[in-house]
Amino acid sequence: MRNNGWMTFAAVLTITIALFLASLFWLLLKNIDANAVEVEDNVRVVAYLDYSVASGQRDEIRQQLEWIDGVAAVEFVSKEEGILDLQKRYHAEDLVETLGGVNPLPDLFSITARSTDDVAGIAAAAAEVKGVAEVKYGADTVEKLFALTDTLRKLGLAIMGLLAVAGVTLIAMATRLTIQTRKKEIMIMKWVGATNSFIRWPFFLEGLLLGLAGAAIALTLVLTLYSGAADYISASLPFVKVLTLAEIWRPAASFTLASGLTLGAVGSSIPLTRFLDV
Amino acid sequence: MLIQTINIGKVYKNGIIALSDINLSVDYGEFVFLTGASGAGKSTLIRLLFREEMPTAGQILIGGRSVLRLSTPEIVRLRRNTGVVFQDFRLMEKGTVFDNVSFALKAVERSWSEIKRRVPAVLERVGLAGREQDNVMHLSGGEQQRVAVARAIINNPLILFADEPTGDLDPRTSEELIKLFLDINSEGTTIIMATHDKIIVDKLNKRVLALSNGRLISDAVGGWNL
Repeated sequence: MRNNGWMTFAAVLTITIALFLASLFWLLLKNIDANAVEVEDNVRVVAYLDYSVASGQRDEIRQQLEWIDGVAAVEFVSKEEGILDLQKRYHAEDLVETLGGVNPLPDLFSITARSTDDVAGIAAAAAEVKGVAEVKYGADTVEKLFALTDTLRKLGLAIMGLLAVAGVTLIAMATRLTIQTRKKEIMIMKWVGATNSFIRWPFFLEGLLLGLAGAAIALTLVLTLYSGAADYISASLPFVKVLTLAEIWRPAASFTLASGLTLGAVGSSIPLTRFLDV
Repeated sequence: MLIQTINIGKVYKNGIIALSDINLSVDYGEFVFLTGASGAGKSTLIRLLFREEMPTAGQILIGGRSVLRLSTPEIVRLRRNTGVVFQDFRLMEKGTVFDNVSFALKAVERSWSEIKRRVPAVLERVGLAGREQDNVMHLSGGEQQRVAVARAIINNPLILFADEPTGDLDPRTSEELIKLFLDINSEGTTIIMATHDKIIVDKLNKRVLALSNGRLISDAVGGWNL
């Protein structure tokens, strides 16, 4: 490794960049999955009332909603309560003024289902009730989230794949250079009857160390970045679930270090198979 | 019979015919010279016998077994029963005498205690007792070749191949080295030595296989036969 300084540096740098990006994508996908699961687990269906519904009609609408199969509870939320809730969540006391002095929110009924299996059926039935303008529930959001996750996953895999190929190639070149530098020792080992594994293992170990070094640097950088970003996002977007560093660092470390070792092993195995055989 | 070759030939990719129709046999404990001018095929023959290269024709038997059909573990076992000494010594220049000789034991995964015991013993045998810590580049040519011999014999090989071992040495040093080889041979190691040193061949009454242009032209005891 000492003898091929620049090649070693380039290999470690490429692995670091590849795994840094890979870990970032992985963390992003984990957070999106966590939000999707939370939304999916939410058994709430929201039925927004038509603006023209009078207060006297609300009881009838409530009764019809309560009669739907699978409904556990129905709660009325007035538009005044709704705007207050939003002001509190986003720390925006002057929200109504910002919206031109008019509260745009409709009255709504918050419907709690007995189980997530009932949610879709309740939503469909609630949409049929006269006076209900729109129905929203978690699955709609979940489908969009999963579509986003899928797109990000494919994009991430493509980028990671390219960087992994680059990293593996550089490790292979670094290992090959080391083999060339130690050609005399290798020939002597062959003459005296060393086995293939005895000749190969130092080079294989070197590849693993290169991969591990890149992974360790990438992991340090990504967790430092994540820690700051997670705090910022949690403060700015309180309705978004952000996995804490304590929750995520162990699986992130496993993913990054395992990937680094794999890239190192694959990278060093290529020249070993081609150039080292008794 | 320890070594047998049957019609072996070697043609390189560039079309050069290095060896052609070589038939020979060497018995256990023999000391055999391979003679011939440069390019006669001596080194090629040794590389084939040592299984460093494969012949393009014919068969090679060592201990009754074909070396052309050996599995990887069997090749390893063959190499552990043979030793090789080269004209240019081929030592690890940055190492000491101990580093170079012990390397042969480390490569076959001997224990550290065994290495510490055997290295000094073999150095004494080749006349380099007490020189373990000397850097090999500080030794004379003859001493470096002795280190190479020590490395070659430390695993007690059945066969010792020597490819022009005195090629880079002065006559007096060459003679001393040949005495070492004779000594090793007297203990039962079969020796096949490629050389174009006529003086040495004439002096010793040993079997001589003479090569010319890749062919075996003579197989007789005593004297330079070209």
